[in-house]
Amino acid sequence: MGRLACLLIFAGLAALLFAAPGHEAASSGPPSGPEQTLPTQPLAIVVNRSNSVDDLSSTELRRVFLGERSHWPNGRRITLVMREPGEPERKTILRDVCQMNESELKNHFLHGLFTGEILVSPKILANAVGVRKFVFNVPGAIGYLRLSDVDNTVKIVRVDEFLPEDKGYKLHVEVRPGN
Amino acid sequence: MRSAAKYEAAQSPVVLVPTVDRVLSAVLRHNATLLLVLVFCAVAVVGVFVIRDLQTANAEAQNIYAVSVQGLREIGELQFDAQETRRATLYALTTNDSNLQLEYADQSRDADRRVTDGIAQYMHQAKLPAEVLLAGRLTHDWANYLSIRDEVLASILEGSTKEAVSLDLSGGVPSFERVRQDLNEVKRSYDDQASQRLAMVVGTSRRSAVRLIGILGFTFLLSSTAVWAIQRSRMLSAIQLAKLQMEFVASVSHELRTPLAVLSSAADNIADGLVEGKADLKKYGTVLQNQSRQMSGLVDQILLFASTEDRKRRYVLQPLEVTQIVEALEASTHELTQGAGFAVERHIEPGLPQVMGDLSALTQCLQNLVGNAVKYGSPGRWIGLRAFRGHAEHGEEVRISVSDKGIGMDRSEIPHIFEPFYRSPRVNAMQIHGTGLGLSLATRIAETLGGRLSVVSELSVGSTFTLHLPVAERERLEMSGVGSQPNSSKQT
Repeated sequence: MGRLACLLIFAGLAALLFAAPGHEAASSGPPSGPEQTLPTQPLAIVVNRSNSVDDLSSTELRRVFLGERSHWPNGRRITLVMREPGEPERKTILRDVCQMNESELKNHFLHGLFTGEILVSPKILANAVGVRKFVFNVPGAIGYLRLSDVDNTVKIVRVDEFLPEDKGYKLHVEVRPGN
Repeated sequence: MRSAAKYEAAQSPVVLVPTVDRVLSAVLRHNATLLLVLVFCAVAVVGVFVIRDLQTANAEAQNIYAVSVQGLREIGELQFDAQETRRATLYALTTNDSNLQLEYADQSRDADRRVTDGIAQYMHQAKLPAEVLLAGRLTHDWANYLSIRDEVLASILEGSTKEAVSLDLSGGVPSFERVRQDLNEVKRSYDDQASQRLAMVVGTSRRSAVRLIGILGFTFLLSSTAVWAIQRSRMLSAIQLAKLQMEFVASVSHELRTPLAVLSSAADNIADGLVEGKADLKKYGTVLQNQSRQMSGLVDQILLFASTEDRKRRYVLQPLEVTQIVEALEASTHELTQGAGFAVERHIEPGLPQVMGDLSALTQCLQNLVGNAVKYGSPGRWIGLRAFRGHAEHGEEVRISVSDKGIGMDRSEIPHIFEPFYRSPRVNAMQIHGTGLGLSLATRIAETLGGRLSVVSELSVGSTFTLHLPVAERERLEMSGVGSQPNSSKQT
C-alpha cells in the first residue's frame, strides 16, 4: 500500500512537471524539436456588395459571429457563413474573433437557439468558393475568406479600420502546404 | 386609172432576190439548223427562268430558315432556359444543405444569363415597331422576375423557406407568368412571319410552275409551228416546182413540136418528090436549117440552165471592154432582131471602165434579155442597148440595159419573173411561147459573175432590164496585165 502511494505521488509530480508552460505541444504529440513559424495570409471578412457596412470593430465582429447581433443597420437579417470544423480559416475566427473552441461555440449556439436569443445558426460551407457564392447571393450574409480567394463579387469589411493588406490587421490564417 | 409599176432593184429588194424568197430559201436550206437553234433558244430561255425561280425559292427558303425557323428554335431555347431558371430556384427549396442550394443557385444564374443574352439578341434583331415593343416588354418583365428570383434565392440560402415560398407566390409566379406570355407572343410573332414567308414561297413556286408550263407550252407551240412552216414551205415549193416542171415540159414539148412538124412536113415533101428544082430545094434547106437551129437553141438553153442549177458553174473572169461585150451581143442577136423587124438603138457612155466577166457568159445573159425584148416588145419593135456608169453600195459599177417598148409587166408579176419555169398567165393567154428559163438563167449567170439583174417595167409601156457588173479592180488589172494575159484572171 505504501509502495502504491509512492508511485501515485511520483506520477503526480511528473504530470505537474510536463504540464509546465512550453511543454503543452509535447504532451499531445511526438516531440517536434524547436518551434517553426508557418507563413500566414490575411483572412478577409466579406459581406454582400449591397451591404452598406464598411467597417466593424473587433467587438462588433465578435457579436456578429456569435449570433448576438441579428440584423444589419439597414434591417437585413445577418446570415453567418462558416467553414467546416477543422479548417484553418475557422480556427482563426474561433481563436481571434470568437475566442472560443469548437465545443464552446457549439454550446453557445445550442444555448442561444434554445433560448431564442439566436435566430439562425451559421451556414456551413465546404469551400471558399461556396462561401464567396453564398455571400454574393445573400444580401445579409457575412463570411470570411483568405485574401487570395476574394474577388469582386463580394465586399471586404475593415476590421478596426484595418483592411487585410494593412500592417495592423489582426486576422491571419496559416498557410500550410496544400491549403 | 392606169397602173404603173416601176421597180428598181437598187431601191427595192423585192425585184431581184426578194427578202421573203431569201428567207424562205434559207429556211429550206437550213431548216434543221434553224429548228435546232429555235429549240436551243427556247430551252435556254426556259433554263434561265428555271434557274431564276430556283434561286428565288432557294433564297426564300434560306430566309425562312434564317429568320423564322432559327428564330423559333431560339425562342424555344429561351423558353426552356427560362423554365430552367425557375426550376433550379425551386429545387433549392427542397434541401437544407447550403452547398447544394448554392449549386442550384448557380444553375439558375447560368440559365438566366442565357435567357438575358437571348432577349438581348432578339432586341437587337427586332426591326418592326411591334417587335421592338415586345422586346422591350420582355426585357422589362424578365428583369422584374430576376429581381424577385434573387430575393427568393437569398431567402432560401438564409434558411427562410417560408419567406422564400411567400415571396415566390406573391411576386415570382406572376412575374414569371408575364415572361412566359411574352415569350409565347414572340413565338407567335415568329410563327406568323414563318407563315407569311411560307405563303410567299408557295406563291413563288406556283408562279414558277405556271411560268414553266407557259414557257414549255410556248416552246412546244413555237417548235411545232416552225416544223409545220418548214414542212409546208417545202411542200409548197415541191408542188410549185412540180407544177412549173409540168408546165415546162408542156412548153418545151410545144416548142419542139412546132419545128418538128415543120421538119417532118418538109422531109415528107422532099421524100415524096414534091420538091423540084434547085430553088425549092434551097428554100426547104433553109427551112430545115432554121428549124434545126431553133431546136438546137432550145436544147442548148435547157442544158445551160441545168448546168447552172447548182450555181457553181465556173467561168473564166477577165477584164473586158464594155464595147466588146455590146458588139458581141449585137453580132449574136443581129439575125434575130433583124428577122423580127426590130430597130436596135445603141448608146455606150464614153470612157467606161473595164468590167470583170466571161465574154461568152455575158453574151448569153444579154442574149436572153434581147430575146425577151423581141418576144414581148412587138408593139414598139424597138430595142435600146445602153451602157453607162453607175454607183452601187460596194463602189462603182457598169450597167448594160436592154429596153423595149412592148407589153410591159404588171406589178404583181415582177417578183416571180426570175423564178425558173415561171410563165405569166397574161403571156400564156397571149400565146407567146417560152420555157420560163430565160430570165432565171440570166440571173444565175449575172450572180455567178458577181453582178446582178434589175428591172423597171410599166404595163403596156415597156420594160428595161439592166445588168450590173463590177468594175475590174486596178490591182487585178495590173496583176493580170490588161489585154496581154487575159486568161490569167481569177476563176469564180
